[in-house]
Amino acid sequence: MDSALIGQSLVSGLGIGCVYGLIGIGFCVIYNASGIVNFAQGAFVMLGGMITHVLLVRGQLPYIAAIVLSVLVVALLGVVIERLVVRPLWKRNAPMFVMILATLAAQIVIERLTFLAVDDQPKTLPVFTDLPPIMVGGVAVNIQSLWIVAGSLAIVGLLALFFKGTRTGKAMRACAINREAAALQGIPVHGMLALAFGLSAGLGAIAGIMLTPTQYTAFNVGVPFAISGFIAAIIGGFGRPFGAFLGGLTLGVVQSVAILAFGAGLKTVVALSVLLLFLFVRPSGILGAAK
Amino acid sequence: MPMKQNIQRTILAVAVTAATLAGVQPASSAEALKIGISAGLTGYAATVDRAWRDGVQVAADALNAQGGVMGRKIEVVVEDNRSEPQEAVTVYRKMMSSDNVDVFISGCVSAGNFAAASMVAKAEKPMMLCSILPQQAAQVKWAFTTLPPAGFEVEKRFEYLRDKTDIRKVGVLHDPTPYALLQKTVAQDVAAKYGLQVVGVESYKQDDADLSVQISKIQAAGAGAIIKIGLGGTTLTAAKNLKQLNSNMLMLTSLEDLAVFKPVAEVLGDKFFFVASPSQVYDALPDSATKAEIGKFLGPWRAKYGDRDPNWASRGWDGVMLTVAAIVNGKSAEGPAIRDNIEKITGFQGTTGVYNFTAANHQGITQNPFVLATIAGNQVKIVQ
Repeated sequence: MDSALIGQSLVSGLGIGCVYGLIGIGFCVIYNASGIVNFAQGAFVMLGGMITHVLLVRGQLPYIAAIVLSVLVVALLGVVIERLVVRPLWKRNAPMFVMILATLAAQIVIERLTFLAVDDQPKTLPVFTDLPPIMVGGVAVNIQSLWIVAGSLAIVGLLALFFKGTRTGKAMRACAINREAAALQGIPVHGMLALAFGLSAGLGAIAGIMLTPTQYTAFNVGVPFAISGFIAAIIGGFGRPFGAFLGGLTLGVVQSVAILAFGAGLKTVVALSVLLLFLFVRPSGILGAAK
Repeated sequence: MPMKQNIQRTILAVAVTAATLAGVQPASSAEALKIGISAGLTGYAATVDRAWRDGVQVAADALNAQGGVMGRKIEVVVEDNRSEPQEAVTVYRKMMSSDNVDVFISGCVSAGNFAAASMVAKAEKPMMLCSILPQQAAQVKWAFTTLPPAGFEVEKRFEYLRDKTDIRKVGVLHDPTPYALLQKTVAQDVAAKYGLQVVGVESYKQDDADLSVQISKIQAAGAGAIIKIGLGGTTLTAAKNLKQLNSNMLMLTSLEDLAVFKPVAEVLGDKFFFVASPSQVYDALPDSATKAEIGKFLGPWRAKYGDRDPNWASRGWDGVMLTVAAIVNGKSAEGPAIRDNIEKITGFQGTTGVYNFTAANHQGITQNPFVLATIAGNQVKIVQ
């Protein structure tokens, strides 16, 4: 097989893997703060691209202003969902599956409202830097993918600093480990939960904004991304932001190699089979589950 | 005493409501001709099936404004199959058992129409479809389509490559829907007739976020053009991927909503072509019977929806007009009579072309009505 083709597939896999990883990080942030698996994460990804598009095209805002405003709006929406959907259940110590169902319902409501507010047509965003791809030995490396990789690494680094180096980050982790004990220590657990949802929603929006220039966004793109991000988080070790990033890269590369070797029809089957085998060997994921 | 008055008022209100319901609603329901639509209002087929539904409704409204069909108003019942075959079976069953529809004029989700076809045939309800026909003879007996043969879309693109370019190797990129698979097979079968060679065939799922590996494989096989087959936002993803790969391949896509093509044209420029129906290039068409018929549809369509893409809606319009013609010709709205009389329709001028049905042919369009088009300066232009 042509080595350039193999190289191109690996580059493509890494590019899409970064996106999966970023979405997986969003799952980890909320899980770290609350122990909740938030299946509305895909909606935040979709909204990031969609709101930026609306502000850019209909609002005629400069691109950077549209991006910043979009992230802020989605982060605020994350806080609203926490306040209206999650917190009432959290206060009542609702079981995990109830929480998952509630966030899934939130995902569907957001999808429907977006559909009604905008339309069902695919939308896209301009690339951040309109330059031709860099050619490396017959392999095209597109500039937007470099933005995604750089942005993802920066976010992973900042999150590591946040969770390990700040009082707020440590407080969020404490809430995940033991909510009651954290409250006894004077940590405002409800505030931490709201912050986690805002942060996670904002991260989802950033993922959506970075990936939309490489493809499209529409009201219904959230769920497939949420599933891929969730898988990435599990592969990496649930609750580990850097692990989710590695998990995303692994998933993206395995999918690309599967398309190359077996065709797209077997992509998901092959990728999930390989990853399942990996989890048999290492059930807690690449970095081990967060404690 | 006030309590007694309240009771009397309540009884009176209930009686008036019951009388209204009994006296008006059932009578009008019994008289209405009910058209059922199973459509993917959500999911991958949402864009086209929502347009199909709206085209059917515009036709029904136009006919109702003229008194309906044989004195009966037309009522349209729409159910969302979410572009999923399982859901399609559920909604077909619901429309037959609860809504008692007389005839189906259903959308473009082929697999959904296939899944329900046997059940619908047993109930002897004719189906006028946007999608391809089911495969089994017993089901085809009750199904008709406004869709031109799958080969027409492929051949129009191959004609362009043969006549206007030096490209002789192509790749096919398709989704897994039955219509796309049919087009893929046609492409493989007829390529040689046009002096072309299919050097790569790759598939994708409608929710795939990246198609660059498939496109890289096609490019590595030496293709100069991609024949893209399938609906939805993946056309935009493919365009973005082609640019990210610095590829010089042309992309020629199948029929789609013009709203999807405009951002694709912004990405690929003169490397992008698409198959268009006559209604999508109405302004560029010379005067003809087809243009005149499209004009009849575009009047009410544009009044209601402005410059929204008319392609699928115009076929929905055709679906209603063909069905009504069969009812009027047979002077009956019974399922078997409608079915028999659709088979007798010949030379019927629709918005997509001339329909000629026979007992052996339930795919009415028999001459290629399509053109190949591109978008330059935000204007749709015919190139072949």
